[in-house]
Amino acid sequence: MHNPPPMLPGPRLVLLAAAVAALLGCGSATDDRPAKWSFISASITEPSCATVNCHSAVAQKSGVDLHDRATGWTSLTKYGFTTLADPNDPTSAPVLYLMRARGSIRMPPDVPLPEADINLIQTWINAGANND
Amino acid sequence: MRRLLLCLLVAGVGTVGFARGAAAYPQFQFSSGTNKCSQCHFSPAGTGLISSWGRSESGDTISMAGDGGFLHGAVTLPSWLALGADIRFAGVRNDDGGQAAPQSAWFPMQADLYSRFAFSDAFSLYLEGGVRGETRPSSGFANTGIGNINYDFSTVADRFITREHYLMWRPSATGPYARVGRFFAPYGLRFVEHVYFVRRFTGYNLYEETYTASGGYVGDDWELHLSAFTPPPSSFPDPLQSVGSRESGGAAYYEKRFIGESPVVGAVAVQARIGVASEEARYQGGVIGKAWVEPAKLLFLGEADLIRQQVTAASFGQDQFVSYSGLSWFPIRGLMASLAYERFQENMSVSTTGRNAYDLQINVFPYAHCEAVLLGRLMTVGQASQPASNLLMLQLHYYL
Repeated sequence: MHNPPPMLPGPRLVLLAAAVAALLGCGSATDDRPAKWSFISASITEPSCATVNCHSAVAQKSGVDLHDRATGWTSLTKYGFTTLADPNDPTSAPVLYLMRARGSIRMPPDVPLPEADINLIQTWINAGANND
Repeated sequence: MRRLLLCLLVAGVGTVGFARGAAAYPQFQFSSGTNKCSQCHFSPAGTGLISSWGRSESGDTISMAGDGGFLHGAVTLPSWLALGADIRFAGVRNDDGGQAAPQSAWFPMQADLYSRFAFSDAFSLYLEGGVRGETRPSSGFANTGIGNINYDFSTVADRFITREHYLMWRPSATGPYARVGRFFAPYGLRFVEHVYFVRRFTGYNLYEETYTASGGYVGDDWELHLSAFTPPPSSFPDPLQSVGSRESGGAAYYEKRFIGESPVVGAVAVQARIGVASEEARYQGGVIGKAWVEPAKLLFLGEADLIRQQVTAASFGQDQFVSYSGLSWFPIRGLMASLAYERFQENMSVSTTGRNAYDLQINVFPYAHCEAVLLGRLMTVGQASQPASNLLMLQLHYYL
């Protein structure tokens, strides 16, 4: 007696996955994330910037190492990346110019950051760019 | 012969090169007539050095022509020894959507050597070593007034890294196994393309391999992998270091395959991973679907993961979502065309933190050991008003 192979649930799974993906893309435009370096480092700069060929501990492109909170904060503040070029312009920190590709190639060049992330970093910089 | 010489020329150019993460081609599961990754790879979860079966498949079913054996079949290695290499040379054109002109570069991408020593029918040692990649030199930031600070390492010796090295007990092709050493804990679709969101944002980006103890069971129609992992100790030298968030934790992967006489075969998998670092933790789980439609020569691959990231240092947690949905078409032997959609939602409560990627990839295998890959990738980020970026990449790949 030959038992038929179990039926593949592929098409149903595809539809379910597509529905889930569409739903999960939703959300509020309100950003309640903390503008703290401890959060920014762990959730934005480390995964997006500290990749192996860029600002990881082993590569340290342009002397910038963003692989953890302490080193990343030192790298950004030590070289003036978070210093406002124009004290009256809250968007004038070099790191913001780089992330927004103003007069430079974009950072990160491979997967650009959402403006919401850059705004969060801008808020942190304008609050003093502390290692908080 | 001319094609063989072309392959060797590509290899010669590439050997000056740089490493890229080696993983696998999950697109070949089912589509090549092989139902499980470990049939073609020595690793029980796939990836890395291919076995004699995999070499046969690479010549007989994947490439248009040629002998997939070591050195094109010119040399037969003793059964206790397996050797291999991956060499890639690539050209990219990246348009970041900003004011700067698109950037182009040609660069050696990967130069990895693999070896496997079998001590008995059950025990083996796997060693891999290569040269860490470098796509672009430092160009400084003159436009922002910061100047050129160049800390780049420049020698091949400085970039040497061994991403995988492990001892394994695996008494037979199916059944239980255990291994310990450095490798990725089995999780996800395990693409070779590290740019895919399901690798980049789940702890599986380039050179994020951990020290791992893994065990499980590989059967004909199911497999289970359970792993515990930790990052390399900070005291380890650079060649043994990894990048990423330095998490310790565990991972589980279970795959059930649906194989038989049906023209549609495939698999579903469930997976979970916990990674805890000094100031954050990630709790993630997901599902995977694979379906091969033989009459149409179409393969569907899909993965969706939910991630709970808890940033303890900031007393804040957020939920993330990452997915991949791809369709690969194999119109003739040696040609694979893939379309894919990727989604990464960095924070599910903030709608403008999403990223989308649309990929078109053509893989050509004109002769055993040789591959050309053309990848076009369009990415949209955040709000609709943010400019899209795009990437065009051509890779020439030779494997020994």
